[in-house]
Amino acid sequence: MSEPSIFFNEVNERQGVFHRRAFIMGGVVTAGLFALGGRLAELQIVENNRYKLLAINNQFNFRLVPPPRGLILDRNGVELASNRPNFRLLLLKDQVDDVDAALDAAAQLIPITPDKRRQLSREIENGQAFVPVVLAEDLSWDEFARLNVRTPELPGLQADMGEARTYPFGGAFAHVVGYVSKVTDTVLKAAGPNPDPLLLNPGFRIGKQGVEKALDLDLRGKAGGQKVEVDSKGKVVREDPLGDIKPVPGKTVHLTLDADIQNRALEVFGAESGAAVMMDCRSGDILCMMSAPSFDANRFVTGLAGAEYSALMQYDHKPLFNKALTATYPPGSTFKTMVALAALENGYDPKTVHVCGKSWPWGGRVWHCDKAHGAQDLRGAIATSCDIYFYQCALAIGPDRIAATARQFGLGEIHDIGISGQKAGLVPDTAYKRRAFPHDPVWHPGETPSMGIGQGYVNVNALQLCVMASRLANGSKALQPRLIHSIGGVAEPSGAQAPDLPFAKEHIDFVRSAMAAVTEGGGTAAAAAQLGLGPIKMAGKTGTAQAHNYAGGSHGSHGAVGAWMQRDHAWFIAFAPYDDPRYAMSVLVEHGGFGAEAAAPKAREIMRVALLKDPEIRARIEKPMPMPELPAGPAEGAAPPPPTGGPLPGVAGPNPDAGVSE
Amino acid sequence: MTSSALTRPGERDRPTIKFGQIDWTLTALLCLIAGAGGLMLYSIAGSAWEPWAAKHLIRFGLCLVLMLGLALVDLRVWFIAAYPVYAVGFLLLVAVMFVGHSSLGATRWLQLGPLQIQPSEIMKIGLVLALARFYHGLSANNARLSWWLLIPAGMIAAPALLVAKQPDLGTAILLVATGGSVVALAGLSWRLMAAGGLGLVAVVPVFVRFVMKPYQRDRILTFLHPENDPSGSGYHILQAKIALGSGGILGKGYGLGSQSQLNFLPEKQTDFIFATLAEEFGLVGCISMLLLYGAAVVIAIRIASISHSHFGRLSAAGVTATFALYVLINGAMVMGLAPVVGVPMPLLSYGGTVMLTVMVGFGLVQAVRVHRYSEVTSGSGAVL
Repeated sequence: MSEPSIFFNEVNERQGVFHRRAFIMGGVVTAGLFALGGRLAELQIVENNRYKLLAINNQFNFRLVPPPRGLILDRNGVELASNRPNFRLLLLKDQVDDVDAALDAAAQLIPITPDKRRQLSREIENGQAFVPVVLAEDLSWDEFARLNVRTPELPGLQADMGEARTYPFGGAFAHVVGYVSKVTDTVLKAAGPNPDPLLLNPGFRIGKQGVEKALDLDLRGKAGGQKVEVDSKGKVVREDPLGDIKPVPGKTVHLTLDADIQNRALEVFGAESGAAVMMDCRSGDILCMMSAPSFDANRFVTGLAGAEYSALMQYDHKPLFNKALTATYPPGSTFKTMVALAALENGYDPKTVHVCGKSWPWGGRVWHCDKAHGAQDLRGAIATSCDIYFYQCALAIGPDRIAATARQFGLGEIHDIGISGQKAGLVPDTAYKRRAFPHDPVWHPGETPSMGIGQGYVNVNALQLCVMASRLANGSKALQPRLIHSIGGVAEPSGAQAPDLPFAKEHIDFVRSAMAAVTEGGGTAAAAAQLGLGPIKMAGKTGTAQAHNYAGGSHGSHGAVGAWMQRDHAWFIAFAPYDDPRYAMSVLVEHGGFGAEAAAPKAREIMRVALLKDPEIRARIEKPMPMPELPAGPAEGAAPPPPTGGPLPGVAGPNPDAGVSE
Repeated sequence: MTSSALTRPGERDRPTIKFGQIDWTLTALLCLIAGAGGLMLYSIAGSAWEPWAAKHLIRFGLCLVLMLGLALVDLRVWFIAAYPVYAVGFLLLVAVMFVGHSSLGATRWLQLGPLQIQPSEIMKIGLVLALARFYHGLSANNARLSWWLLIPAGMIAAPALLVAKQPDLGTAILLVATGGSVVALAGLSWRLMAAGGLGLVAVVPVFVRFVMKPYQRDRILTFLHPENDPSGSGYHILQAKIALGSGGILGKGYGLGSQSQLNFLPEKQTDFIFATLAEEFGLVGCISMLLLYGAAVVIAIRIASISHSHFGRLSAAGVTATFALYVLINGAMVMGLAPVVGVPMPLLSYGGTVMLTVMVGFGLVQAVRVHRYSEVTSGSGAVL
């Protein structure tokens, strides 16, 4: 029996309903598919550009490339601060779920002490999520190579090559060049809600002292970007060197300092405490600004351990303190140059004679001198540094005139040398007393003799005394000190573009000649200030400043005896060559005793380096001594043939290479 | 086919004849879709057969054989098996609540020896079969509007609730929608459908507020405002849209989709594989793919329509509805038109379970075609 193609035993109505409904279902599905197609067209045609851009942004990221920090060079291009490669291990927090596991993995590769681990855990917890944490720094090449092999399989760990600041001379420039160290939270808070992304870069350092701090923004440069293709987890898949944005390196800073002079200065101080500042007395350039004892600036770059830091802080020689700028001391007898000049300018007769008998009763008390100098005029009193003469000289002209002169020579003034931390010190006068002592606004006559020998209220720093010495040496210009020669090739104004000193040339010459007498026979520094460089002579002035109020007013116990903290400060200011001044300097030896014994020999040694580096001076020194008349000598007027090789006659001194012909 | 040959008694039961009655166009379409799936899986693995493409194609091969085998199974056997399959599926769903295997906070698996069974998948076929069998014995009037309809309502609701409890919202919705389409195809009154639709609209907010798990609620809220949470739940939607949108008309090229190659795309080998296709082959590729799916659906509906038995019509159409729902829901989800509910693109996405379900379903569709003239008893469904 054949099967019919239509089953009549079925309810036809059911079939009809189904066919209609199936047709509708087909329609609904088709409509749905059309809707999807329409949506696709909307996304892929109409909004294509928008999503294309989003896809590209998704895909590419710029990895911050820190710029190399600007170099700091001395006047001859010697690097005082430069950068070295620094191999590090970073932890990328946003790619790590389990910090402990990541640290365990890291500990397998590099040693992590329990202490260090605690510190790291804290750092990881407190830091911002997207800022990587430096797990280890200054790894050796071997360690770095090992890490590089292992880290790809360890999520969140990344071996990285950064740059670290390095100070080739360690301590010699630690105060003036300063150092960089980690960005502290206070700095970050001060930077506001959107800080320079560089500040958050792991291992980034900012300048904390000296030139590094003052010129931090110039030295810092601008961050670049490395274009990288990343996956959804931010993991770098590929680098795209063509899309990189080059970082702008920090500007190179040229200082006026001279590494040789500064290094020698630190050397001659040995374990002693003090400062040495030297200026070119024609240009005002600071060639040396050293504070001793010093510290290794490189230690601050990596981060100082607490114990190390407190040792530095607690040492009574105060190595962290810049004694050339931040510390002020009474200038002692070096101030007598100012008293003398003020006297001359105000009509004081330099031939005035006072007799020194080691003690001088005046104003109801006895004033002392370190020995009985006998009868002396002004020049002799400067050479022998007679206090009793200057008590009377100061009384003759009064504090206000002395103060006016001292200010003309840069005392009591903060000199703009581009770095901070300078203390102004004090040049007192009657107005100062009125201002500062409302209960006792009167300048008492008894305060004038003290001021006359650079004691009492007078306070100066080593830079100011060096400025004073250089202005005396220059004789005509009120030289300004300059430390920063140029920033990124743009020169800073020279210190020689200064107004003239409002003093009579002959009066300054008088003081200068008296300073020359200091280093000649009979002067206080006659023995200590001999350069041993033939015709080149150094003029100077010693100073011995009371650091402690001696009980009973006795002057007999000062010098390099007794407890260190109670000894006098030793000063020496100098310039050389006397006949054609080039270099002026001040040397302070804190609690060093007598200026002539503690400070003058150091000044001599430092000055020798400066003079021997100067080709013109060297030419003068190396001029051969006149030859004895030879029977068949060269024609009259012709220069004698220069001898070749070997130490030259006329050059003596401890420096073994001083006489080598160039 | 000539009517003379096929009208000969017993002729249609010969296996070779049966084999010839399989719809080879539909089979070819399914092969094309699965092949495209293999192609995309190869691309997103970074041009590698492992870990997805090779397995996907091998599985499809096995499923294809299974489908062809099922196509030869007599429709009356399907008819007999309808209630038992539903019953077994239901019992397994209950069992899964007590001894199920949990993963990712959802209990969906049942470990039976070496086999991992997902009862909700059995239920997708079982529900269609059971409903078709039920309506097979129901008059048009009763199917339109009668108290009898409480039975199919219960048949749909019971497993759907169990699945929703697992929780597997995507499958639950799919079950309800599939069951609903069978009920509708069987001739439910338009008025009741409208009332049901309105009721659903009223119930959904309550459901969202009180029944849904927080993560499910988040998905809905995120779907409504993806920009509020671009790195959390909204991330999937946004990244999928970026993949789609950046593909443009012609796509970025095979293997060159940055979104999928660089892992920006979530679930790129399963739920979001269509986004990869869209990114690499653009609008042209997508439309082609949708045309393949559309053609498969139309052919399957046509097969359902030419069946002489009501059971055959409804079961084939029900399976087709499931398939079409998969495509539409997944498409809408990938294109940001629907919340992310975890429904894969059938045969394109990687995943054995759904492929098996779909291919068993098409086995049923093919069986309906092969046995379209078979007479299935009316009434209560007693065996012939």
